[in-house]
Parts: sequence; structure tokens; C-alpha cells
Amino acid sequence: MKIIEMVRRFLLIDLLEGMWVTFRHQNPSDLVTEQYPMNRPEISDRFRGQPRLVKDENGKLLCTACGACALACPEKLIKVGSLRDPETKKKVLTDFDFDLGRCMFCGLCEEACPSNALNLSSGYELALYTREGLELGKDQLENGIQGKVYDK
Amino acid sequence: MSDNRFYDSPIEEVAPGNTFLDSNELVLNMGPQHPSTHGVLRVILKLDGEKVNGIECVIGYLHRGIEKVAEHRTWAQFGPFVDRLDYTAAVSNSLGYCLAVEKLLGVEVPKRAQYLRVILTELCRLASHQVWLGTHVLDIGAVTPLFYAFRDREDILNVFEKYCGARLTTHAFRIGGCRWDAYAGFAEQVLHICDDLGPKIDEYRDLITGNRIWLQRTKNVGVISAEDCIAYGITGPVLRGSGVEWDLRKKQPYSSYEDFDFDIPIGTAGDTFDRYVVRVEEMHQSIRIIRQATEGLMEGPIIAKVPKVIKPPVGEVYVSIEAPKGELGFFLVSNGSAMPYRVRVRPPSFINLQALEKMAKGSLVADVVAIIGTLDIVLGEVDR
Amino acid sequence: MIQSILQYLHSDVTPGVAGNLFWVVVYVLLVFAGISVGVIFMNWFERKIMAHMQVRMGPMRVGPHGLLQPIADALKLIIKEDLMPANADKIVFWFAPVCVVMTAFCGFIVVPFGPTHAITDMNIGVLFMLGVSSLGVLGVIMAGWASNSHYPLMGSLRSGAQMVSYEIAMSMTVVSAVMMTSMATGTGTLSMIGIVQAQLQQHTWFAFSFFPVGLTALGVFSIAMVAETNRAPFDLPEAESELVAGFLTEYSGFRWSLFFLAEYAGMIAVSSIATTLWLGGWLRPFPNLLGGKNWDTAFSLVPGITFVALAALCLFYFTRMPSIRAMRADARGLAAFGGVLGVIGIVMLLPGVRVRVQDIYWFTLKVGFFMYLYIWYRTTFPRYRFDQLMKIGWKVLLPISIGVVIMTALIGVRQELLALVWR
Repeated sequence: MKIIEMVRRFLLIDLLEGMWVTFRHQNPSDLVTEQYPMNRPEISDRFRGQPRLVKDENGKLLCTACGACALACPEKLIKVGSLRDPETKKKVLTDFDFDLGRCMFCGLCEEACPSNALNLSSGYELALYTREGLELGKDQLENGIQGKVYDK
Repeated sequence: MSDNRFYDSPIEEVAPGNTFLDSNELVLNMGPQHPSTHGVLRVILKLDGEKVNGIECVIGYLHRGIEKVAEHRTWAQFGPFVDRLDYTAAVSNSLGYCLAVEKLLGVEVPKRAQYLRVILTELCRLASHQVWLGTHVLDIGAVTPLFYAFRDREDILNVFEKYCGARLTTHAFRIGGCRWDAYAGFAEQVLHICDDLGPKIDEYRDLITGNRIWLQRTKNVGVISAEDCIAYGITGPVLRGSGVEWDLRKKQPYSSYEDFDFDIPIGTAGDTFDRYVVRVEEMHQSIRIIRQATEGLMEGPIIAKVPKVIKPPVGEVYVSIEAPKGELGFFLVSNGSAMPYRVRVRPPSFINLQALEKMAKGSLVADVVAIIGTLDIVLGEVDR
Repeated sequence: MIQSILQYLHSDVTPGVAGNLFWVVVYVLLVFAGISVGVIFMNWFERKIMAHMQVRMGPMRVGPHGLLQPIADALKLIIKEDLMPANADKIVFWFAPVCVVMTAFCGFIVVPFGPTHAITDMNIGVLFMLGVSSLGVLGVIMAGWASNSHYPLMGSLRSGAQMVSYEIAMSMTVVSAVMMTSMATGTGTLSMIGIVQAQLQQHTWFAFSFFPVGLTALGVFSIAMVAETNRAPFDLPEAESELVAGFLTEYSGFRWSLFFLAEYAGMIAVSSIATTLWLGGWLRPFPNLLGGKNWDTAFSLVPGITFVALAALCLFYFTRMPSIRAMRADARGLAAFGGVLGVIGIVMLLPGVRVRVQDIYWFTLKVGFFMYLYIWYRTTFPRYRFDQLMKIGWKVLLPISIGVVIMTALIGVRQELLALVWR
């Protein structure tokens, strides 16, 4: 088979095979670019993104201010402030400080919460121009970070 | 010439007081910022014209003190940090750490969790090898396979996202098993990947493997013999490319790898081309394993009974797995408390990097880039 | 004066040969504008085609489907800060890009876009083009020298050595093509227009004559021209992932864009040589086999139809554009562009225009084919190492091209040889 080998080498068949592979990929249905921001990617249910405090169907926060999430966090960036309600003798959440700048979205806080009150949701557009804006407070976690809507 | 040995040492030792016009030797700094050093690796070359006489690597630009951080986190809290070692193969690192802690605790992981772990780890091996393939071929000049590899990697990352919520820093496993069960459609999606990826890997073969330019750039480049590999402690595809049949999945099976039927590709010449073929063939074998594991996935619990606060008994353990880059080992020392006393990572890339000088001495400058690519180093692991 | 201007319109030679200064200047401006538009188009085309081969879309944001991207790039390069290294040799540093651009554009004096559509027709046309492109090497070496830094100097010397080595193989194949012009008539010609007319006379493009000699010559020239212009897979001197950064390191902004302009103009120039010598220049397919008035008319409609088809494609993409407010300007721009192409297409269908334009169209199509090949090579192949590159130039291409010359010569004297043998 030496002759065939020599002919293949002389006629540059291996190079032409490579060229055929790249040529074939020009098929427009093969293009995989997602033109963000017009096409946004599909986010899965378990995506660990923007932290949110979950409300039940009456609009009341599920959080019982137990502090399990603050203990579980590797970076100790959650601070839970609470007051004991004199009538029900249960803790009521007053402050919830979450430093998003140091968060690594590991999900340990979500896992540790016994009442499914803290949820890392599907928001990923969290960029800001200042570092201070990343220290989230209770209302931002309840209502989500309101992004600035641009015209274009 | 200051007393600061750390900064002055390499160049001053190599060419003290000389300018490059005085002798034939030129000292060239391939600095930390460079398109082909795969991260922040600084390589100092001693050149004689075009030939490389010596190489010195300066590392530490990505040192984040992960091992020190471990001493101040609980065993479970350290899980996310382990992903950041070899960031192209985060699931693999997670597996190694969890296996080590489980051995320290004496916990038996349920079979279903073991199979899930195998499926995800082998998917991660495919993803890591695709990053390697794209970047290695890009360094040698072909710009397209990078995009094909990353396009195929997208399917795998979508599986990771659906499974654990993140694509790169997955934090997939927990001590004792897996936190999440397979989502609805997991098996179909994974089998779909297995079917799709086989022909695509063959496409890389058409585009690269038979290409005469590729053969000329990689044959007999960066040769290292089997004895040298064993002497340096090199593991992984580099070792297997030199002809040594050593793969921890076969020799010291962990996490039910003994249930699966797969081959270990071995090279012969120990050059760049053989390591390339070994890794591409490993991708095919990974597909085999994934298919067997998915089809054999049985019912059962996915996590063992592990106490809420993990306090292993006093002792130490070393557990290593076959990561995509080589043998990734975790040496854990526990003093009975909730935080580890010492975590030492045996990074495969750091140990494989020793081979750079042996491989590159005597070759041309243009080959140094190819050799760094074939060692498949990730600076996250080298520097930790 | 008006008399002499109008007088040229009835002649059937190029303005240079006719000695008509006005029309020479007009043609020079037209060619300069055309090549500049070609370079700009090439920039967009390369990014789009490379992207499509890499399963992604290229530029899409700057203008509809990235059509304004080259203009944005040019604008950015012009307004960039003009840096010069402190110890650089100022005059040489300033002159190197000028030299490269001048030599790249000078070669277009003799390129024939049609039987009279050239600035001039020197009777040593091919030799002139090869000589002028060799002067470009001087510019490259000056660029490396003037940067006053070790690595650009090494890069420019390597680049210069590569260009010089492959020029020899190129010139040998050009010799073989010139010899082929003498097959029918017994006298050959170096003039570019003459070579195309010889192909017309011999009823075949030289690429297909005396198979496989013509095809081998074209193949060797194709490979050598890629190395000559420092493009993949021979682009080690200007590769980004190599240590020696190449002679372009110290150049930024407008000077860099001049080098870039010269590189693409050089690519178009050597493609023009290849088209003229082997692919029949401005000749339409099958000028003799499918001759006669009807076929002539049919083929002369093709340019207009192409532009109308491109306009239809633009309008098709216009209908597929998202109708959100942010994309309104882009959508209208695309429709306008499609409209302009349509108008050009319809103008090119008019009988008076299409007879003059068709030669330019076929020539540009063939040069465009070579440009596509350039992009295709860049996308597909890894890079050669420098010693392997030189080995191919000297040990592989040069013997093959000398063999091609000998074969052509033997074919040329075949009657005499046969007479000698059969006597």
C-alpha cells in the first residue's frame, strides 16, 4: 500500500479532508451563538444565582430567623437580625444582610435552611458599578434587585 | 543584585551581569501574561539561538492559600473550595475530597450515589479533555477545534447546570453521597450526549490527527521515557503516553469503577502525539463508562447517614483518584474537631510540571508552547 | 484636451499604452479605490467566514450583520495614539509601512481586469509584479530594524527569509506559465494581457493544459503565495502565541493599519497573478466551447443576476431580523444595503453597461475564490515551525517547480523531440 500512501501524500488528501470538515460546519443551522441580550439562555431550576427570601402564598416571609444559613456559610457573609415577638414568642426577622460581593454561590445556605426560606434563584445579571451596592439588605432579597431598564 | 533571592534568583543565576550580546545564550522570559501558558505560569528560557538549553518555571501567581483556608472551615464548608483547584474539572476534585472524608469517617456510600458520581465524574473528564484539546491545538495554530470542543462542552455543562445549578464550580457532591438525585430527563440527556459526542470526537480526528502539519509539529516533540516518568512521580495521560499501564480506576478502583468495562489507552513513544492520542481515546472510553453507568443506574438512597456536624475521629488518611490531569490525592489530618487540622492536596499538574525541563531541553522555542500544552496543566492546581 | 480625452474612448488599448494621461489618472484612482474597497470587504468577509466555519456568528452588532465593522475598526485605528519607541530610528520607523504599502499597491499597475481595463500593459508585466512584491521584503526588514528591539528584529528577519525562499518557487512556476504562452504561436509573452489572450487562443486555461503540468504549477504557486504573504499555515512570524512577537510589535494605530492594508493588498496582488496566469484572467467560462452571440449574452447577464441575488439575500435577512426597537436602525440599514445592491444589479443588466463590466466581474470572482481559499486555510491548518517551513520551501516546492519547468519545456519542444526520436 505504499503507492496509495505516496499518492495521498502528494495530492494532500489529509489536508483536503480537514478542509472539508471546516467547510461543512458553515451550515447556518449549526451556528450556536446566542445573541445576548436578545436571546437569553435557558436557566435550570436548580440554578444557584441571586439569593431571594421566599414568601408564602399570603405574602409573609417563610424565614424564621434561626440563623442556620449564617452558620453554614463558608464565608460568614450572612447576618441575621431578629426580634422576639412578645405575643407568639417566635423570632421575627428584622435584618438580613447578605454580602453578595463575597458570595461564591455554593448553595450551603440554601441547603441549611430548615424552612426553605432562602433560595438561590435564577437571576444572574447582578453586575454593578460600585462594591457597596453588592451588600444586599432584606428588601432586596425579598423583592429582588431592581435592574435599571435601558432603552437599547 | 539585591538580597531578595526570590525575585532575582532565576535570571541572576542564569546570566549574572551579562547582556545578551556577550554570549550566544539568550535569556527569554515567557512572562505570566502570555496567550499560551494556560494561566499565570512564568517560564524562563535559556536559549542558544533557537534551541532551548534550559527552562525554569516560576509559579505562585495564582496562590490563594486554599490549604490554609481549610484549617478555618468545617469539613462540609471546605467542599466548595475544592472545586477551585482544577477549575476545568471541578466535579472530579469534589469526588476526591468527599471520598477522603468518607474514608476518614468510615462511611459507606450507597450504590446509587456511587453510580451517579461516576456518571458526573466521567462527564467532567470529557469536559476537561475538551478544554485541553481546544487550547492545545490553538497553541499550535489551528484555531477551529477550540470552538468545536467548547461547543460540545456546552452540552455537558448544561447537564451540570441542571443537576447542581452551576456550570463550572459545581460543588456537586456532599460528604456521604450526593445531595440531589438525577433530575427528570437526566438519563435521556446523558445518553444523548454519549451518542452525539462519539462522532464529534472522530471529527477532530479528521481535522487534526491525520493532518501532516499536526504530525510534524507533535511527533518526537517533548519525549519523556517511562523510567523518567516514574522517577518524577508523573501520573495521568503523560505517564500512559510513555507506555506505563497505570490508571487508578483499574489498579485501585474506587466508587464502583470495578463494575464497569473499559480500556486504558497506552502510548508507546512518549511524545506529544502519543499523549494526544491517549487523551482522545480516553474520551471514547469515558463515553463507554457513562453509558454503562446510566443504563445500570439502580434505585436506592443517594446519601448515607452522616451527622449534621462532621467530626471525624483523630487520624489521617490519603485517598487519591484518577483526575483528568493525573493522580489527584487528598491527605487529611483530623484532630477530632469540626475543622480539619491539615488538608494537603497532591496536585497532578504541579508534579507533572517537573517534566517540562526534561522534555523541552534541546528542542526549539516553538516546541515549548506545544509541550506546555501537552502536559495539560491548570494553574489553579499548581498554585492552589 | 477634451479631444484627447474623448479620443481614448474609441481605442482598444490600455490608457498607459495609448499614452493618455487623463485616463491613466482616472484608472489609477479607480484601481486604488477598488483595491481599498476590496481590502475592507476582505476584513469583513474573513471575520464572517472564519466565524461561520467555527460554528459561531461573526460581528453582528456593528451595523447589520457586522457590515460596518471594518469601518469601525479603521476609525479606531486612526484615532489611536501614535507611539514610537524612544530609541527607534525615526526615519526608518516612519518609512517602513510606507514602503510596504507602496510596493503592494504599485503592483496593480499591470493587473488586467479586462482586455483594455488595466492602467497599462507593460510587455514585462509579470516580471514587474514579481519584482515589486519582492521590494516588500525590504519594508518588512526595515520595520523590524527600526523597532530597536531584539525580538521584532528576529521576527522580521525570519519573515524576510521566508518571503524570499518562497519567491523562488513562485518565480519558477511563473516561468512555466510564461513558457506555455508560446505553445501555439512559437513566441511567448510576459505581458499580463498577452498571457490571457494566449489562453484564449489556445482554448484552455493554463491550469488545465497538459494535465497535470498546469495543475501542479498552479498548486505550487498557491502554496508559495500563501507563504509569501505570511498567512496561515505559514504565519509563524506574526503568530500571537509565539515568543518572538514579530516585526509588528512596536507598530500601533494607523501604522499598523498600513501594514494590514499592505498584507491584504499583497494577497489580492498574488491572487491576481495566479488568476491571470492559470485561471484565464477575465475570460468567462468556456469562451470558445460555448461561443457565439447567444452564449455571450447569456454569460454577460451573470454579473447583474449575481447582484440581484445578493440583494434578495439581504432582503431575506431583513425579514428575519427581530422587530424590536433597538434593532430598527440595523434593519433599515440592511434593507437600504439590499436596495443599493439591487440597483447596482439592475444597472449591470443594461446592455451598454454589462458588456464593459463582465470582464471585471469574472476576474474579481476568480480572485475572490483565492481569497476564500486563504481564509479556509487559516481556519483549518495548524502552524508550521520555522525550520519545517524553510524545509518545505527549499526541499519540496523548489524541486517540484523546477520539475514543472522542465516538463513544460519538454512539452514545448515535443514536435522536435519526436522528430528526433522517430528519425
